[in-house]
Amino acid sequence: MRELLYRLKDRYHFGTPTFQRDDLCFVTVKRSELRAILTELRDVEGFTHLTLLTAVDWIEEQQFQLTYMINNREANLTLALRVMLDREDATGDTIHDLWPTAATYQRELREMFGINFPGSPRVDEEFILEGWTDLPPYRRDFDTLAYSQQTYHDRPGRETHDPKTHMQKVLYADYPKGAK
Amino acid sequence: MSLRDVLSPFTAWKHVINDPVTIKDPFSREASDRYRGFHQNDMDKCIGCGSCEEICQNAAIDMVPVEGQNAGPGDSGLRPMIDYGRCCWCALCVDVCMTGSLTMSNEYTWVDSDPDAFRFVPGVDAKSWDLEPKGYQREDERRLTGTVRAPMGETCPEDRIGNFDEIVDGFTAEQAIIEADRCVECGLCVATCPAHMDIPDYISKVRDGDYEGGLQLLYETNPFSQACGRICTHKCETTCAAMHEGDAIAIRWLKRSITDSVPRERYFDLIQKPDVPETGQSVAIIGAGPAGLTTAYDLARKGHQVVVFEALDKPGGMMRYGIPEYRLPYHVLDHEISVIESMGVEIRCNMRVGQEISMDQLKTAYDAVVLSIGLHQGRSTRVPGSEKAEAAIDLLRRITAGEEVPVPEQVAVIGGGNVAMDIARSMARLQKIKHGKVGVTVTALEELDRFLADKEEIEEALEEGCDIFPARGPQEILVDGDTVTGLRTWKVDAIFDAEGRFAPKYDEDDEMVHPAGMVVEAIGQMADISLLGAELTEQLEWNRGRIMIDADGQTSEPWLWAAGDAVSGPDVIHAVADGHRVAVSISRMLTAKREALQ
Repeated sequence: MRELLYRLKDRYHFGTPTFQRDDLCFVTVKRSELRAILTELRDVEGFTHLTLLTAVDWIEEQQFQLTYMINNREANLTLALRVMLDREDATGDTIHDLWPTAATYQRELREMFGINFPGSPRVDEEFILEGWTDLPPYRRDFDTLAYSQQTYHDRPGRETHDPKTHMQKVLYADYPKGAK
Repeated sequence: MSLRDVLSPFTAWKHVINDPVTIKDPFSREASDRYRGFHQNDMDKCIGCGSCEEICQNAAIDMVPVEGQNAGPGDSGLRPMIDYGRCCWCALCVDVCMTGSLTMSNEYTWVDSDPDAFRFVPGVDAKSWDLEPKGYQREDERRLTGTVRAPMGETCPEDRIGNFDEIVDGFTAEQAIIEADRCVECGLCVATCPAHMDIPDYISKVRDGDYEGGLQLLYETNPFSQACGRICTHKCETTCAAMHEGDAIAIRWLKRSITDSVPRERYFDLIQKPDVPETGQSVAIIGAGPAGLTTAYDLARKGHQVVVFEALDKPGGMMRYGIPEYRLPYHVLDHEISVIESMGVEIRCNMRVGQEISMDQLKTAYDAVVLSIGLHQGRSTRVPGSEKAEAAIDLLRRITAGEEVPVPEQVAVIGGGNVAMDIARSMARLQKIKHGKVGVTVTALEELDRFLADKEEIEEALEEGCDIFPARGPQEILVDGDTVTGLRTWKVDAIFDAEGRFAPKYDEDDEMVHPAGMVVEAIGQMADISLLGAELTEQLEWNRGRIMIDADGQTSEPWLWAAGDAVSGPDVIHAVADGHRVAVSISRMLTAKREALQ
């Protein structure tokens, strides 16, 4: 795999590769070169299988990271290409023509992260969320707790206790807390 | 349609003799080994910190009191109750668990027509999967909170031994934030702190970089936060939730980072006297240590006139005259006390009650009197020659006061507590300055791991070249004419008898003579109560040599309260807590008195 990257590095811009294992490597590539690299890896280097396509929300950096994981079954090698997108714009380039299964991943990313892939088949249709009107739920600024509290009822009779307050009540109720 | 399409269904018949790959009995099928099923909670390990409740994104967990689990040091007594109507089995609660008590079994099938059956306390409400070893457990090395304490800079032994400069650097802003980030804000520590400081709240101020807000929070419970940020016995750190699977949070150093980060002149803007009317009532406080000055601070802020009588040259008590400068620099203490004085507290130094002014005069001139005199008299071993020994506490005071103390090339210290380490390390510094080398021998009855001194005190004493001889009992201070020549000790076989009483047993054959030009006794202190006078001593009620006080710190006399080391034992933060208690009690009495007059 190192040898493969070495061969390609003159023609493409690669970040520093991270080898999780000898047969599993992550590397960041330029968005404009992604399609060319994927095509070459698929058609020339034997990476025929798209294992997965997923995203990470780097909200502090205002970026989305797309991870394209592809596999060469013959050589038992897995390579994951990372592409950084502007979080504000949140638009990726569809690869459904390279791997038809990508359309499903892209539909999922559209729904869960709000990352659009113009031209991808049925990308605007609901995937698993029905009638969702809130922020895409995998975005890190989506408040899961607030959503679940708004959406679901508590069983009646629920009551919780704060450890600090509880211990004060039980262990030192008489101590004059604070000089105020 | 091709011929292949017609024939291919029949090719499947070739598998008819193979073993089926489907499951014979799909109804009693066990889930996979690491399946996330119903929770298990080990009651021996759970400390009720509530981190599981805090992290739950579905608000599925309540912390509830349960039968058989009581609140105590480092355990809230609460246990998580889970509502499986809300649980999404994400296992964040297992991942965050501070003790590893919370796990998940791989059991997930359970049918019941009562929805409330699916709300229960794992580990308390018995379930069939309680002992199931399979299921989801956090991977061993994975922790959501950091387990290692942020590093703290310290002057190296070679550079610190020849002077009394402060040793510990204090956190940088970056280190403080990293350390504060490890805190899960459970608040178990608050119950352990004698002054019940708002520890999680001020740690969160550090994380937010709001040092001024943090300082105001510190002053609500402790006007000696600068001192405590340096020399507190930090018992809070012994009940920290983080200690179960890593280092306890450096609570003491985080407190210090707040006090160090606020510019000194800003203290006077941030900590101001509340706008309350003067009551016209006055309180006399005897002793300007942490107990007396905390009482003074509280009472002055309530509008009472407060006068503190201090026998020594400067205020601060043991914090100044007991604790060496390399642990608590005097300029820090001076600043801290000036904030208290800015509340209108008057401190009169060199006023020894019993000499310059009598108890009777105080009783007449003030509405209440507080006795916070500390423990300034060293105890003696009373072994032969002990009349030639120095008392550690006396020596420490003389060093602080800048008096000339004898510095022989070899010094022997008796005692294994913090005061013993303080005098050993102070003498080591003076020896280094005078003779260019250290010659200190510390002997104590206890084995090294049972020393009363803090671990870091012992380590630092060793680093600075002090020799420590554990399990040695003093037998005689050797004297040649008027000069001390050494200390004779026996090996200690046992310190206490079968009933737990202090009765050291020695191996007389294992004798050592530690050569020394000075022997220092550091085996404990007592209060100098001569100021009370015979009449008052007779009137007061006593409890094993200590003045008896009630829960509010009041003595058997209605005008006299007592606080601090003299009644609670040596500890700054305990003295601060005493001060708050006494101030509230006195204030209550004064209010009642005012109302009676109206």
